[in-house]
Amino acid sequence: MAFTSDLYVERESWVHEMDPRVKVIYVACGVCAVLLFHNIFFMMLALLASHLLIFTAGVPRDRVTWVWKQMIPINILIPSLITLFYPQGPVLFQFLFLKFTLLAALRGVALALRLDAIAFIVFLWIFTTDQTKIIRSFVRLGLPFNAGLVLAISLRYIPTFAGLFTTVSEAQQARALDLSRGNFIQRLRQYIPILVAMIISALRTADKLSKALESRALGARGSKRTYFRDIAFRPVDYIYLSGAFLIFAAAVYLRFVLGVGTDLVNPLP
Amino acid sequence: MNGHNACIVVEDLWFQYTEEIVALRGINLEIPDGAFVAVLGQNGSGKTTLVKHFNGLLKPTRGRVTVYGQDTATLPVGRLARTVGYVFQNPDHQIFCPTTREEIEFGPRNLDLPPEEVERRTEEALEYFGLTKHADDPPALLGFGLRRKITIAAVYAMRPQIFILDEPTTGLDWRSSMDMLRLVQDLHRAGHTILLITHDMKIAAEFSELCLVLRDGEVLLFDDTRSVFRQSDVLRQSQIEPPQILLLAKRMASLGMPDDVLTVREFCDAYVALRRSR
Repeated sequence: MAFTSDLYVERESWVHEMDPRVKVIYVACGVCAVLLFHNIFFMMLALLASHLLIFTAGVPRDRVTWVWKQMIPINILIPSLITLFYPQGPVLFQFLFLKFTLLAALRGVALALRLDAIAFIVFLWIFTTDQTKIIRSFVRLGLPFNAGLVLAISLRYIPTFAGLFTTVSEAQQARALDLSRGNFIQRLRQYIPILVAMIISALRTADKLSKALESRALGARGSKRTYFRDIAFRPVDYIYLSGAFLIFAAAVYLRFVLGVGTDLVNPLP
Repeated sequence: MNGHNACIVVEDLWFQYTEEIVALRGINLEIPDGAFVAVLGQNGSGKTTLVKHFNGLLKPTRGRVTVYGQDTATLPVGRLARTVGYVFQNPDHQIFCPTTREEIEFGPRNLDLPPEEVERRTEEALEYFGLTKHADDPPALLGFGLRRKITIAAVYAMRPQIFILDEPTTGLDWRSSMDMLRLVQDLHRAGHTILLITHDMKIAAEFSELCLVLRDGEVLLFDDTRSVFRQSDVLRQSQIEPPQILLLAKRMASLGMPDDVLTVREFCDAYVALRRSR
């Protein structure tokens, strides 16, 4: 992965210029809308819409590929586990006590697609909003500054720790650690040197970061915090905000009044 | 570098991290067996990317890298680790064991050596690097200089023929740096090939036989250290300034000082010779 310090992609697009508070509301509405429906085609639609938004925002293709790579374990585990342990409908074939059904497989795929859609909605927000604006938006929405900072730091360190994992893994492999050797349990054990070295590095980073923040007067008492760059609503942001509520209202109407998207396969009631 | 037995041969090596980021562009070189090579270049010039191909951590996008005739693209890192020892820049990326002894034992154990051989190599590495008194200490809690030494000792215990050291003196004071480099120099004298990535020209001038200078993923210069530092105009293209002692000697060239001294000792010798000749 080529990017290690920040997930934010600096571009000039309508998504980037949108007020960060509106983006938070879009994320909340988007995630809730995705959770309302169970239909596999709706999940695909949500995923397609989030991809279209990501590309109109000018986010490079390698970032999108990176998100998909992070989602690989979920996309494998969830459909497999649901297919294996949650059989529904007619049994296609049976192996020992395991029953394979098409319905369970589709449910697993739908659930994985739902999580993919949620991930892309969240990453659209992170890719197009820099840390300062993320913190400001939360603080302006009523969150204490320190809590907003903790959230922003957590997001900022996702790629850093992904990069750290790669480096530590390379360092241990350079000492002849073979991660592909042995059965599943043995292979898991091979990861211990990587995980321990990562935990030690993470603790050192946390210690240094906390000292750096303190030395820059974070948490100083008796003074009111001021902001060099504040955020302000523009007229177009009110239109975007209305759009977010309209989409959410339409989703609620479709789901609860018309009964659309409740069935796993058939999108119509 | 023709005419020497090459331990590493790089042929038209290209490497891309992404579609947009091309880190190496058609590198061709031969590293002579038993050489002490300083790898120089500004940040992002491709130094670490290049050397990671030597132990198989990176595989070429195009081209070929062979170590003692074996194509690194076809061998796992664990196998190449027997021949190529790589010491990472940050010791904290490597250290994980509760004691220094166990940390050093980790590599030889991965090589499936008999327990008595692992023990023998570990004790030897502890002694060679002056770490015996810290053998039972938790390495993560030791000072930075010691942690750095432990990482080199851990690779030394695996007995590779080639050592790659990625900026081993970063964060160390001058004395610790010199102690470290003398140990590396001893490894070189014992016949090992050393590849040392460094930003310190004084170290490159004093310790290396050859200098490999990279710029934007291409080889700018690869020659003996004295010849490389003589080409200060070319080096500036890679934001490299020769050691100050060489710059001083160049300024005194009109007085008869040779313009290719690399170390303070060489400068003093040349100065004494100059005074005597007058």
